[in-house]
Formats: sequence, C-alpha cells, structure tokens
Amino acid sequence: MSIQSAAADAGGLHTFNILHGFPEALVRGMRSSFLLDADYHHLTQCETLDDVKLNLSESDYSSALAELGALTPSTLQKAAVEKLVLEFKYLRSQAVEPMATFLDFITYEYMIENVMLLLKGTLAGRDINELIAQCHPLGLFRESTMRSIPTFESNAKGYADLYQTVLVDTPVGPYFAKFLQEASARSGGDSFGVIEEVEIEIIKSSLLKYWIEDFFSFSQKLGGETAELMEEILSVRADTNAINITLNSFGTPLNEPQMRMSERKALYPSVGYLYPAGTHKLHDVGDEEELGRVLYLFPQYSGIWGVHKSEGGGEKSIDDAFYERDVQMLELAFEGQMHFACFYAYVKLKEQEIRNLVWITECILQQQKDEINKFVPVFSMHSPWRSK
Amino acid sequence: MSSSNACVSQYCNAGWGEVLSHMSPYGWANFGIAFGLGLSVVGAAWGIWLTGSSLVGAAVKAPRIRSKNLISVIFCEATAIYGVIMAIILSNKIKKPEDSAYELTQYWDFPGFYYAGYGMFSSGLSVGLTNVASGVSVGIAGSSCAIGDAQDPSLFVKILIVEIFASALGIFGIIVGIIQSNSCNFPIAALQ
Repeated sequence: MSIQSAAADAGGLHTFNILHGFPEALVRGMRSSFLLDADYHHLTQCETLDDVKLNLSESDYSSALAELGALTPSTLQKAAVEKLVLEFKYLRSQAVEPMATFLDFITYEYMIENVMLLLKGTLAGRDINELIAQCHPLGLFRESTMRSIPTFESNAKGYADLYQTVLVDTPVGPYFAKFLQEASARSGGDSFGVIEEVEIEIIKSSLLKYWIEDFFSFSQKLGGETAELMEEILSVRADTNAINITLNSFGTPLNEPQMRMSERKALYPSVGYLYPAGTHKLHDVGDEEELGRVLYLFPQYSGIWGVHKSEGGGEKSIDDAFYERDVQMLELAFEGQMHFACFYAYVKLKEQEIRNLVWITECILQQQKDEINKFVPVFSMHSPWRSK
Repeated sequence: MSSSNACVSQYCNAGWGEVLSHMSPYGWANFGIAFGLGLSVVGAAWGIWLTGSSLVGAAVKAPRIRSKNLISVIFCEATAIYGVIMAIILSNKIKKPEDSAYELTQYWDFPGFYYAGYGMFSSGLSVGLTNVASGVSVGIAGSSCAIGDAQDPSLFVKILIVEIFASALGIFGIIVGIIQSNSCNFPIAALQ
C-alpha cells in the first residue's frame, strides 16, 4: 500500500528537528491553550450562558467565539471544533513525510464516521445537504465524492458498487475492500451476496478495526519513541473498542451464540492488550457476569469494570472511566520530546475539552447544577493520579 | 604483500608505514586545518538547525521567548568560532622553506618536520570532532529549552546550565588542540 511505503524513520534525538521541529514546537505551544482549573471553576459558577461566553472570551477561545451571536451548546461545539480543525490544518500544511502520513491517519477515523453518517442518513431518508453539514470537518472528502455516496443502494451489490466507483480513491477505500473481502470469505465466496442486511454499526466497527490495525503497523514502522507510545495508546483504544462492542451487544441479536462466533468475533481488533488471549475469551461471553470474570484477569481493566458494576448509573459511567484513563495516558504523551504521539494526543485531548465544555453548558442550560462537575479536566492539577 | 606482484622500483612504498610517512607533512597539516574548521562548522550548523526550528515554532504561541532563547543559538555559534580560532593559529604555523630547492638536503630537520605535520593534523581533528559533538548536544538541549521556556519561564535558567556544560565540550577540544600544536614548528632552513 502506498501509505505504508511513506513510513521512514522519524529520526532520533539528533535528527528529528531537521524535518519536524517546527510543527512539534507548534503543537507544544498549543498545549498551553487548554483551559486551566481556574477557568473550569469560573465556568461551573456561571448562571447563564452569557456568563459562559464572557468567561471563555478571556481564554484561547476568544477569537473563535467572537462571531458567535448567542451561545448554545451546539454552536459552542461547532465553533470549538472549527478552531481545532483550523489548528490541525495548519499543522498538516507544515508537515512533511512521514509526519504528513501520520497526521492523515488521525483524520481517517473521522472519514469513516462521515461515510457511515452519510450512508445511515440516506437510509433514513434525510437530505444530503443537511448530512454534509453534520459531517465532522476533519474527515471531509471532495464534495462530489460525498454527494455520490447516498445514491447507492443499501444492499450487497450496492455496497460493492459504492466501493468500486466512489470509495476506492479515498484513503478509507482499502478498509472497505478488506471488509468486503472478509465478509465474502465468511459467507462462502460470493462477493455480491455478501451483505444482505448488514447493520451500519457493524460496518463501522469493522472499518474502525482495520483502521486501528493499519495505524498500529504504520507507527511500528516509524520506530523509536513514536512506536512505543503509539503502541500503548492504540492498544488501549483497541481494548476499549472490544469491551464496548461486547457490552453493547448484550440484548441485541449479535449476542446469540451462533452470531457470536461468526459476526461478533470478527469485530475484535487484533492489536491491544486483550489480544489474543482476552479476545478469545470474550468470544463466548454472553452477559455481564461472564464479561466481568474475563476482565478480572486483566488488572488494568478490572478497575474500570469495577466502576461500571459498583453503582450502576450512580457516580460514574463506564464511559467516564474510559475517558479518565485515556486522559491520563494522553497527558503522558507530552512528557517526552521528538516523537509524533503528541499530535494524536493533542487532537484527542482537545476533543475531551470540547466534550467538557458542552457538558458544562448543557448543565447550565438545563439548570442541573449538581451534575455539572462530572467532567474530566485535561492537564488538571487536581487529577486523581497527580495527588497520589 | 610479498609475492611476485610486489613492486620493486625505488619509488614504491614498502609497506603502510612508508605510505603514511611519504605523505608530505605540509599535506597533513593543511588537512588538519580543513578538518578542524570544517567539522566545527558542521557541528555548529547542525546545532543551530536543531534549536532554531524549535525556537521558531515555540515562539508562535509564546512570543516572549524570542530574544532570550537566542542564547542557545549563540552557544552553537561559539563552537564554530573555536574552529576558526584553531584554524588561524595552525595556518600561521605553516611556513615555506627559505631556500626553494627541488630536494631537501640531508641536514633538514626531519624529526621536527614530521612532528609539526602530525601534530597539526591531530590537533585539527581534536577540535573538529569535539565541536561536532558539542554542537549537536547544545542544539538538542536548546530545542528543549525553547519549548520548556514557552510553557514555564522559570525553567529557562535551569536548562541553560545544561547547555553550558554541553558547550564546555568544545572548550576541552580547543584547549587540547592548542597544547598539541604548541611546539609544532615547521622548519624553514636546514640545520647546517
């Protein structure tokens, strides 16, 4: 694949800065634009959304919010995401190989989400323009490509046509090809009779799985500190996906014994700490008790599972526990210099901050002040792992 | 290398020892100057390359670091200056013989001649190689200094101490180089 051939050595301490010094210093400067503990404190004390806008205009978001009329959670999210995309595009324009391919890999995740959004939206019969407006800006294709996605039918032949005519040129084309290939191999070689009524969610999980594996092998080729850090980060990501797939499949047709081996098994990524022993055990898991028993064998996940079991909708959900663990790990990516993992960490941590802001503004809008502190701050001095 | 392929003319070298000693001491000395200057400049340029890109990038979000962090660039430049100093000292020691005859007489001060040539070559290498290491090291430390200073201004002076130790490596090189080349003098006339 031409993507993999771009993987050259990123350079050690003594040569990294030659090609990548400027973007790396840029992203480290952007690290200081995260909201501080004091900022979050002021925001949670706000009574109305205008107060929120006033407080945010003193932070790094001032220029992003300047043209915004009245603040609502959705407009705030849109403005904040636009700001992140602008910063990312600047970094991407300054990058050379292999950093350029690395940054592209970060955007493929959003491309997959956009393709699935367009397909799902057309199945529900929504207007194409409305769907394009909802697409994540980091993962946009050419306009013509996006407009032609909904014109295909949602059956076996439709998907194969969609791939051959439209998606093959996009970076997510290879993942779609692998999906069609493996699905046809599973149902016995007929590439057209493959996907009778495959759910969109299953396609999305499969595409994400291929993306994680591709990204993983690319960063291993880069070597050095990038490979070490991205291995850790992507393994945890893959495990999160595996646990979520299993958890979300309880109560759906995917959980039936015959579906477990054929359909659900194919969704688990082949990277991560749970692979291969853990995912093998997860194949047969039928309910939460068994899932808990499997996760108990893995110390880093038994803690998160404990959070899920202990209250059942009380203090924290399992998603919050995952987010907290992610933030702890991604903050560590900024500790060392001369590697690419800080770019991935910056995008993900900025997304977490946007989630926090939307949560806070929603709580203020709905006047639910006791829920307002349930967010995970980024680079906070009061984080639980810092006070130990 | 004894076999029938061995060359038997009087102009052939009988072994590696003869190859090395048949190279003119003027050649040795001038190559020493070239290595000393060239490698020092390579080290300094590499260091400025490393630290300059980080400085420019970090100054985008934190413009206050611009002037202070030019010290890192100055430390890198210092290693190039050591190379130039050594090159000037050495090239002043190279002298042409007064009597421009075709061959040197048997009374020529050959020991001093060879001593001067080898001494200057090795002092050039001493300075050049230590300055490569010093320049790269100052460059990496300077890049981290710029990025750290952008986040937290109190870090600047502490990381500067690391850079000072790194540039001390270049000073070791020039001190040893001067000691090595101190008593190297090219003879300009035969002894008698």
